[in-house]
Order: sequence, then structure tokens, then C-alpha cells
Amino acid sequence: MLLLLQTVVNGVLLGGIYAAYSAGFSLIFGVMGIINIAHGELVMLGAFSTYWMFTLFKIDPFISLPISLVLLFGIGYLLQKFIFNRVVEAPSIMSYIATFGVHLIIANLALLLWTADFRSITTSYSGIHLNLGGVIIPYARLVTFFLAFVVIIGLYIFLYKTDTGRAIQATAQDKEVARLMGVNVYRIYAITFAIGAAITGIAGSLISTYFIIYPQMGLPYTIIAFCVVVLGGMGYIPGALWGGLILGVVESLTATYLSAGLSVAITFILLFFMLIFRPAGIVGKGIIE
Amino acid sequence: MEKKIFSKRNITLFFLILAIILILPLFVHGYLLRMLALIFMWIGLTACWNIIAGYTGYIDFGSVGYFGIGSYVTAILMTKAKMAFLPSLVFSGIISASFAIPIGIPTLRLRGAYFGIATLAFAEAMKQVVLELDRVAHINFFGGSHGITLPIGPGNEFFYYVMFTLMFMVMAVTLWIERSRFGYSLKAIHEAENTAELVGVNTLFAKTTAYTISAFFLGMFGATEAYWVTYITPNDVFNIHVTIQMVIMTLLGGMGTVMGPIVGGSFLTIISEILWARFIYTYMILLGIIILIVIIFMPKGIVGTIRGLVIKKKVT
Repeated sequence: MLLLLQTVVNGVLLGGIYAAYSAGFSLIFGVMGIINIAHGELVMLGAFSTYWMFTLFKIDPFISLPISLVLLFGIGYLLQKFIFNRVVEAPSIMSYIATFGVHLIIANLALLLWTADFRSITTSYSGIHLNLGGVIIPYARLVTFFLAFVVIIGLYIFLYKTDTGRAIQATAQDKEVARLMGVNVYRIYAITFAIGAAITGIAGSLISTYFIIYPQMGLPYTIIAFCVVVLGGMGYIPGALWGGLILGVVESLTATYLSAGLSVAITFILLFFMLIFRPAGIVGKGIIE
Repeated sequence: MEKKIFSKRNITLFFLILAIILILPLFVHGYLLRMLALIFMWIGLTACWNIIAGYTGYIDFGSVGYFGIGSYVTAILMTKAKMAFLPSLVFSGIISASFAIPIGIPTLRLRGAYFGIATLAFAEAMKQVVLELDRVAHINFFGGSHGITLPIGPGNEFFYYVMFTLMFMVMAVTLWIERSRFGYSLKAIHEAENTAELVGVNTLFAKTTAYTISAFFLGMFGATEAYWVTYITPNDVFNIHVTIQMVIMTLLGGMGTVMGPIVGGSFLTIISEILWARFIYTYMILLGIIILIVIIFMPKGIVGTIRGLVIKKKVT
């Protein structure tokens, strides 16, 4: 019983991490229809910015969060402005391939600069955890879990309560009409990508405090983000939470009771059937083409 | 202008090239021959991807799944059933194709990005199943992450001819598609699927047929590659980079054209052969930059851009 409880708790916490770095993927897809294959690289850049600030300047990961947020916001803005804005109106295959090109460039530049070594951050609070009657909850993961909520709620408020947010929504719904209403669609695209990159970056920063990081870590993260977003509903931001939780719990249960390797297979089988039977996601609010 | 594919000049040129290719192994050996066989393989794989993605516009991110199935079918038949290579090759094609029908029918109903992700999920799921099934079910069938070692095959000349034959078949099928009623229905699906349906095209049947043809050949290429390298692991033959390579080559050459895969496939194989071994990271960065340049400045690929220039010249 304790094992089951611990497994579910682990799954929920893992789900929070998944949700935290998948929300940006969903936002970018929802507004621009871009499947960002370089998404995992944004996680990697966030993780490495925290890592370097910690190892070089002894800045605590939680204090460096705003720095990686700003850094990734800038990178995201520039990527969209100079690269993806040029392909966003073209057939969607073009934008997929463009993001793949960016994935290759970032991942391999990182390999050249930082080598393929596995790295990790050990802080004074790395090992500490909450013990609830035998169920162990590491603090760092708990914080990420809450951060996922904060990010998603923050994004929600931003999209509904601010002018820029409403412009983003308008662009997502009908970019031609948004353009007629005086929205600078390309600037909105750049801001959207920047926000997506920024929230992904801070998720990456948090991940660096308990997962091993390396320059090639990106692609698996991108693939998980795919799954999370499809499970929750593509382009429906709170769906990232649903998707993350389902995936986290399913993976955790399979890893405990079947085999750790099989959990990835189960993920993809789940994804496959989900797409066929419920392409709009588990709560049915995703975008269907 | 382009209807005259079978003009007298083209036919002469075709037989001339065919003759050169067929007698080339008498003069060329070793590394260069291996390289040519590799180019044939990539042109063929790219042409397979082009059949489904280039003509119908359905972006398949799981093509490597069929390549991997083909590899494993041949590996298992040759090691466990002691079957000869050529019958195993045919079985690989048939089994790949028979996977493609039940996978294709549900996934090809999905549009756009969803089809891409579903096929990616299929390929990754296949890889994980092959990787883990032995350990989970306590059997010795796929060999898990250790893979399977095949019997040592004949020399490069053999693979040169097999790869060429397969490539030739795929190209012939592409040429047939380009000019047949079936091809028009695929192009109609690309242009406007709902309209195609309205005017009486059985779109699901057409898409599934194209997908199955593509899988059939992908399986045979996988089989040949497995016998050629004699050692396969799930991580190699189900590697997502194989799919991505096909995508990039098609895009470089030009999507939905007969010449596209030939140009894109040979161009990228040669570049990667020159750069890959020496500067792997630099090569990957360069590849990324090439992709971005092609996407932004010549979205129709090399073939499409040249064709555009020629037409422009004729008009002025």
C-alpha cells in the first residue's frame, strides 16, 4: 500500500515537472501552429544557465530563476523574430523543419562548448525531503510542482487580463481579423514564443537541481512534451497539467510494477491511441485541425 | 514540356546511365562502391518518404518504424529460421506493408501535426517494444539492447546491386504515381482534401495505399541495410534521425517531385560522408544552418528552385 502511494506521489510530482515544461510548447502550438522540435533545447538552455551560474558564481538555483527567465525570453524573441516569423505563414512542414534546424544548431553548439559530460547541481538542500507517514516528497520536486501551477495560472491571467494577452488570443483565433484590428501579428508571434521559451527555461532551471543535465538532453524532453500536450489537448494551456499528471502517474506505475524501460513504450502507445480516439485531449478542449 | 518524359533523347540518356551504373563495379571497388550503394539507399529511402509526404502532404515522422521492422524481420528470419537473404527481403517488405495497413487507416484520418505525432509515437513505441520485450516477457527473441548479429554477407558489389535495384523500383513507382490517376488523387488530397473527397476520390484508400507502398519499400531497405552492416540494435534501426534525414533530403531536393529525392539524397549523403567522420558537431551545426537557409530562401528545394528559374527565363 505504501509502495502504491509512494508510486502515485512520485507520478504526480513527475507530472508537475512535465506540465511545467510542456505549457510553453502548448502555447506556441496554440498561437502559431508551430511544433517546436527545439523545445527540449530551451529546457537544456535553462538548465545550463542555472548550472553555470551555480558553478561559476555560486548563485543559488532559486535566485537565478529570474535570470534564466530573462535570458530565455530574449533567446525566444530573437528566434521567432529572425527565423520562425519567416516560415510561420508557409505550409506547416516548413516550420517543423525550421525548428529541427534550430534544434541541431543549439544542441551541437552546446556540445562543442560544454562537451557531452553529464552534470548535476548539488545544493545544500538537494537531499532534503518531506516525510509524510513513510511517503517521501523531495522539496525540490514539490516546488517544481507548485511552479507548474503558478506558471499555468499566471499564463492564464496574462492571456485573459492584459492587452498583450488578448492580442495573442485574437491572433490565435483569427490572425487576419487581428491584423485588421491593428495587431502587429509578427510582434505578437515573437512575444508568444518568448513567453513560451521563458516559462520553459525556468522549468529547465528547476530540473537542473535534481536531474542530470547534458547538451543532448533536449530531444527526449521534446518528445515527452508532445505526449503531454496531446494528452491534455493541443493548444489548451491548462491541458498541460492534465497531460502531465496522467503521463507522470502512468509512467510511475509502469516503472514500479512492470519495467522502467516499458514505461516509455506505454507512453507512446497511450499517445497513439489518444490521438486516434480523442485527438482533442482528455478534456476535449484542444485544437483539432 | 514535362509530359515528354519518354522522349527519344531521355530514353537514350536513361539507358546510357543505366549501363554505366550496371558495369561500374567492374572498375570501382571498396570504399567508393560502398559510398555509391549508400547514396542509392538514401535516395530510395527519401523517395519512399516522398511518396507519402511529398504527394499527399501528410508529414510522416515515423517512417523509420518500417525500416526497423524490415531490419528485424530479416535478422530474425536469417538467424532463427536460417532463411536465405532474398526471401527474407521479400518477407520484410510484406510484413512492413502489413503493419502499415492497420497503422495507416486510423492515423491517416488525422490531419496535419496530429498525423506526424501519431506516426512518431508508433515508431518510438516499436523501438521500445523491441528493446524491452525480451526482458519483460523473459524470452530471447529480439535480443533487447544487444541486438542481433546477422550472418556475414557477400561483398559490397552485392549490396550495390541490391540497393540499386530497390532504388530503381521505388523511382519507377514514383514515376508511375506522378503520371497516373492514382497520383492525381494524391495530389488532389494535398491541394484540398475535402474537395477531393467531394469529387469522388476515395481519399482514405488512396492515402493508405501510398502509405503501404512506402512502408513496403522502407521495410526492404531496412532488411538490406541489416544484412549489410550485419549487426542491428533497436537504437540504430529505429533511430529517429533516419526519418529526419529522409525529411531533410526530400526538402532539400524538392517535395513531391521525381527528381527531388535523387538530388537531395545524393547531395546530403556526400556532404555528410565528407564531414561527418571528421567534424561531427560542426557537421550537425552546418546541417542546421543549411536547413534554415533552404527553408527560408528556397522553400521549393533545389529542383523546384531550378525549375522556377528555367520557367522564368522562358517567360522573359
